[in-house]
Order: sequence, then structure tokens, then C-alpha cells
Amino acid sequence: MSRFESGRSGKGDAFVSDRSGSLHALAMRHSARALAPLAVLSIWYLVGLVGKPYEAARAEIGKPLPAIALIAFIVVVAYHARLGVENIIEDYVHDEALKAKALIVNKWLVIAIAAIWTLAIMIIAAPR
Amino acid sequence: MADADPVSESLAAARPLSPHLTIYKPILTMAMSIAHRITGASLYVGVLLLALYLFGLALGPSAFDAVSWIVNSLVGRVFVLLFSWALFHHLLGGVRHAIWDRGLYLDRDGRELLTKASLGGGVALTALLWIASSLFG
Repeated sequence: MSRFESGRSGKGDAFVSDRSGSLHALAMRHSARALAPLAVLSIWYLVGLVGKPYEAARAEIGKPLPAIALIAFIVVVAYHARLGVENIIEDYVHDEALKAKALIVNKWLVIAIAAIWTLAIMIIAAPR
Repeated sequence: MADADPVSESLAAARPLSPHLTIYKPILTMAMSIAHRITGASLYVGVLLLALYLFGLALGPSAFDAVSWIVNSLVGRVFVLLFSWALFHHLLGGVRHAIWDRGLYLDRDGRELLTKASLGGGVALTALLWIASSLFG
């Protein structure tokens, strides 16, 4: 049995399972289930921002429910998006070195997006 | 990690690849499968842009002036419209897969029906959201 490596990379791994596929697929479905209600709530608040000037947009996002919904949304999105793009990278990037790099960029990019998004909401929703 | 032996290594290299997209007749379920992936990847980019908008909104009025085009300009409005459509399309695509995962609607008529329902449903929900948002937002 092979040692775990991210994706199906590495010599010999074309012949063995890395035994992580089922968990990956299940994690995709579990996060999707959480995202269904969160996405509907969040897109309502996000579309509500269209055309709003600075003060009005801050007042909208600063309310407790939009703030909590948007933070919960982006946390699960980061997880779900990472898994989905891992699938895309593994399907289309065949150069082993490039694939490994792309998987790492994907891993940290989703965390950076979620961190910036969460920080922004917390600043906006913080009591003044 | 166990190294593969040279024989199976060379056998694997000589193994024919499965036929790729271009060889199949394009059908709706296939197009929707591709659309599911494209909307998913687009939402990734869209969320990145929205994070920049929210960050500008958090930093102050001058930072907001630099990023407000993401949501308020004509291009921005089209972006949010496409983002919301992609979200609903991807969400309904997920619902469709969840139904298939339970072994339902897998027959010829069933899968066509689900595929058309999720395609139309995504457009309908997007229209409904923007109408409701302009009325009650």
C-alpha cells in the first residue's frame, strides 16, 4: 500500500488507490448540503448590495444575521471550493510538478479568500 | 511508497487512453455536467472579487471608492447577475446529483427531466431573486 500523497501524484501511484477518493467525494456532498441554505441567504444579501453607497452598504452588512450568514457561507465555500478545484486540477493538469504547485496554491488561496472576507465582515459588523 | 515494476510501468504507458470529449455526440446531460464544473470554477473567481469588494467596504470610504465598481458599475452589475445565476445553477446541479445519488430519476426520461428542470430553475430563481430584491431590498 502506498503512502498518502495529495492527489494521484508520484511514481507508482497510477497503479494503486491513494485511498482518499471516497472521503473526498463525501466531504464534497456534506459541505454542499450545508451550503444550500447558506448560499440562498448569502446571495440575497450580496445582491442587496448592488447600487448601494458606502454607508448604506455598511449598514446592511453590519446587521447580525447578514454578518453571521456571510461568514458561515465563506467558511464552507472555502472548503467546498478547495475540494472542487482539486478535482479540476487532478483531471486536467498532467505535469506532475505543475499539478503539485497548483494544488498548494489552491489550498492557500481559498484560506486567504476566506480570511479576507471574514476579517472584512467582522470589521464592518463590529460595534462602534 | 511501493515502486511499480518496469513491466507494469511500460504496460501502463502503452495502454490506450479513453476517448475524449470530441468523440461523443453532445447531449444535454453532458453539457450540464460541463456547465456544473464551469460555474463552480467561475464562482471561485467571483468569490475572490466579492472578497475584495467587502475588504474595501471594511477599510473605509476611499478604499470603497477603489473597489465599488465590482458591484455598482455596469460591468459590476452584470458580474453580480452572472454570479447569482452561476450560484443557483450550481446549487440546482448539486440537488440533481443528490437525487441521482439516491438512485432516483436515472432512467432516460427522468434524467432529461431533471436536467431541464435544473437548467430552467437556475434562470427562474435568478429572475425571482432580482425581482424580489428590487421590490423588497
